[in-house]
Amino acid sequence: MTPMLSLRGIGKRFPGVVALDGVDLDIAQGETHALAGENGAGKSSVIRLLAGIHRPDAGTMALAGEPYTPASPTDAIRAGIRVVHQELNLLPALSVAENLLFERLPRRALGFLDRRRMDEEARALLDRVGLADLSPRAPVEGLGVAQCQLIEIAKALRSDGGRVLVLDEPTATLTPRESGRLFEQIEALKARGLTMIYVSHHLAEIFALCNRVTVLRNGRIVSTERTADTSPPELVRAMIGRSLATQAPVSGGPVGAEALAVRRLRPKGAPPGPGLDFAVRYGEIVGIAGLVGAGRTEVLRAIYGADGPPRGEVFRDGKAVAIRSPRDATAAGIGLLTEDRKAEGLVLSMSSAINTSLAALPRVTRAGFMRADAERAACVRYAGELATRLSGPGQPAGQLSGGNQQKVVLAKWLFAEARVLMLDEPTRGIDVGAKAEIYALLGRLAAGGRALLVVSSELPELIHLCDRILVLSRGRFAGEVARADFSEERILGLAYSGYMGETAS
Amino acid sequence: MSAATPDTALPLRFRRSRLLLRDAGIGVALLALVAFFALAAPDFLSGTNMSNILTQITINLILATGMTFAILIGGIDLSVGAVMALCAVVAGTVMKLDALPEVVAVGLGIAASLGVGIAAGALNGFVSAFWGVPSFIVTLGMLNVARGLALEVTNARTIYDFPDSFIAFGTASLFGLPVMFLLALALLALGWVVLTRTVFGRMIYAIGNNEEAVRLSGHRPFDTKVLAFAVTGACVGIAAIVYVTRLSIANPILGVGFELNAIAAVIIGGTSLSGGRGSLVGTLLGAIIIGVLGNGLILMGVTDFIRQIITGLVIILAVVLDSYRARLSRSLG
Repeated sequence: MTPMLSLRGIGKRFPGVVALDGVDLDIAQGETHALAGENGAGKSSVIRLLAGIHRPDAGTMALAGEPYTPASPTDAIRAGIRVVHQELNLLPALSVAENLLFERLPRRALGFLDRRRMDEEARALLDRVGLADLSPRAPVEGLGVAQCQLIEIAKALRSDGGRVLVLDEPTATLTPRESGRLFEQIEALKARGLTMIYVSHHLAEIFALCNRVTVLRNGRIVSTERTADTSPPELVRAMIGRSLATQAPVSGGPVGAEALAVRRLRPKGAPPGPGLDFAVRYGEIVGIAGLVGAGRTEVLRAIYGADGPPRGEVFRDGKAVAIRSPRDATAAGIGLLTEDRKAEGLVLSMSSAINTSLAALPRVTRAGFMRADAERAACVRYAGELATRLSGPGQPAGQLSGGNQQKVVLAKWLFAEARVLMLDEPTRGIDVGAKAEIYALLGRLAAGGRALLVVSSELPELIHLCDRILVLSRGRFAGEVARADFSEERILGLAYSGYMGETAS
Repeated sequence: MSAATPDTALPLRFRRSRLLLRDAGIGVALLALVAFFALAAPDFLSGTNMSNILTQITINLILATGMTFAILIGGIDLSVGAVMALCAVVAGTVMKLDALPEVVAVGLGIAASLGVGIAAGALNGFVSAFWGVPSFIVTLGMLNVARGLALEVTNARTIYDFPDSFIAFGTASLFGLPVMFLLALALLALGWVVLTRTVFGRMIYAIGNNEEAVRLSGHRPFDTKVLAFAVTGACVGIAAIVYVTRLSIANPILGVGFELNAIAAVIIGGTSLSGGRGSLVGTLLGAIIIGVLGNGLILMGVTDFIRQIITGLVIILAVVLDSYRARLSRSLG
């Protein structure tokens, strides 16, 4: 039988990254097929190609035997591939019916909306996802996340054009009970013979819902197996694969006194419970690992007071510090290198010198006036120390490459004399060569006696950098791994531990 | 400024050279405009007419100087015309207090005008920064509040008959230039120093470009925002005094639409409406362009209606050009 969807030799590269390489994938008619893999393995890239957001650089796609070459998301929808993206795309002020039918609103002559037909069609769609008791006229903004997720799915089911329904992490924002309701509806759709692609970190869901599972790693397909023939541990092994050529680990310095400690920290979105306790010493690089959505970034932002005063206690050099805002955190000698350099770390259109001094203005001012010479000197000094490639201190930060931008952000915190550095995805969007430089730099900073707390989605990065790694799973620490015991399998196992067997609960 | 210690000013010089390039473009536009009117309107280049232009643009120049602060930090102030009327009538009322010696009354009146302007501006900044609401809306509200207060204070009557010693300033000249224009120029120069040389100025540019990065670098953008709007208000207070001394009246309905002229000068001067980019040099050129355009068209006998249309088109052209600039700088990022 012709597969419903077939990918042959698909390749996709972005500047500096190979996202997909020679991907062959067949999705049979009526099956529910899971895509699994680590962060950045290529799952999202496959979805974006199917959704018509990107076009492949190599290879061909076929839908029910016909060549499939969507030039835009509209093309994909027309061809019958519906994607429910991870982030919700509903219009909050509009009604449920309007949202459901937004792509093609039923209308009468002269462009008037056909209210009656809208309600009917909306009701039929809501029925199909088990939301029969929801009024089509209710505004979306009052609804819960689970209902919104179901509305997105209902939207995708309209006109039965759903030849293939792609669900990208549909349970990422749901509670277990809400997930349970979603699964019932997915089972019902399966029973109707709809072909589905299901992307999830949650292994239990994959085994409960899907017929087959394909594992991606570094943009390639590692295996495609029937879920009945494999097991969660086997899947985890397939996702990690053989470990990369082991690099010499970064060497930290002699470990000193406790620099930063938190007690009963409950970051934004943390699950109920006692909160997080941990400490970082001078000279140490401590990693925080976890899956997307495990709450890693939130830990750093909470310590930093970025979303208001943290719930829990923060200690610097053993003394409790009251942190109400980033201002207090920087005053306590804590620096944060954010995940999104461009939006949160740098003032892109302004010079590298200005960005270097941004967190330590008193050092380059006298009586309220800027000392341009001191500012420039600081920029030049740190550009030298960090080997930042600048045309000059006046070069706007926006013109620098990712690696050099990150060095300017580092320079900002070094100039501000932050003794505790918290780094969120320090090498995101940075090419391989510059990565190695950043790693060496972080090692030197630790050896120089600073305390580093690093969040990263890339396990090899953490394994390479850290003295020990704290593993977050669903907002809780699932364990701590010391360097001697580092292995991707072990860390990933802990990272998944909070998600295992949740459908049973 | 090119003489400023070339060895030490490098980081700023880079930025400045880019700004200068932009200002140069506006300067060329101004020169072209002047050349055109010089040919088309024979009296345009006469000394009297030049002096006229400077007098005509003085108030807008002062308001635009303040407006530049509000726009650079990513906001806007729609209330300046109305607040200016409030400042003027408060100052006028104080100056007319018979119980006080003339000098004291005039001094207090000036202080009152400044005080009202600063208070209104700071309130604009506070409300918009504290509750995170767009200054566009807050100052639209303030526009009505200030206008209503001005009418209430005066009972909708005009105040006139001010002390001669005070009125004399309005028409005085120094080195052949109107004193009030020189005052406006001095104010603009002071503003330029503040924006390019002080920490406060640095924070204004940085916040206008990326408030979140500034906040996460350990600063409190709130203070700077309130202060920036207070500066806008202070300029309004000064503009009100200039108005009263020149026209010798203070009435509660003066200044209607002045905010739009001030905004136009800032935008034509190349300051980005989205904040963070621009300079007071541009604002100076923008205010002169508006003044020259209005004056030259009158001399050419163009009707009031057509003048409005042309001025409007120039403003639209300026924003369209700004959008190209924004796209260009985005492509850098």
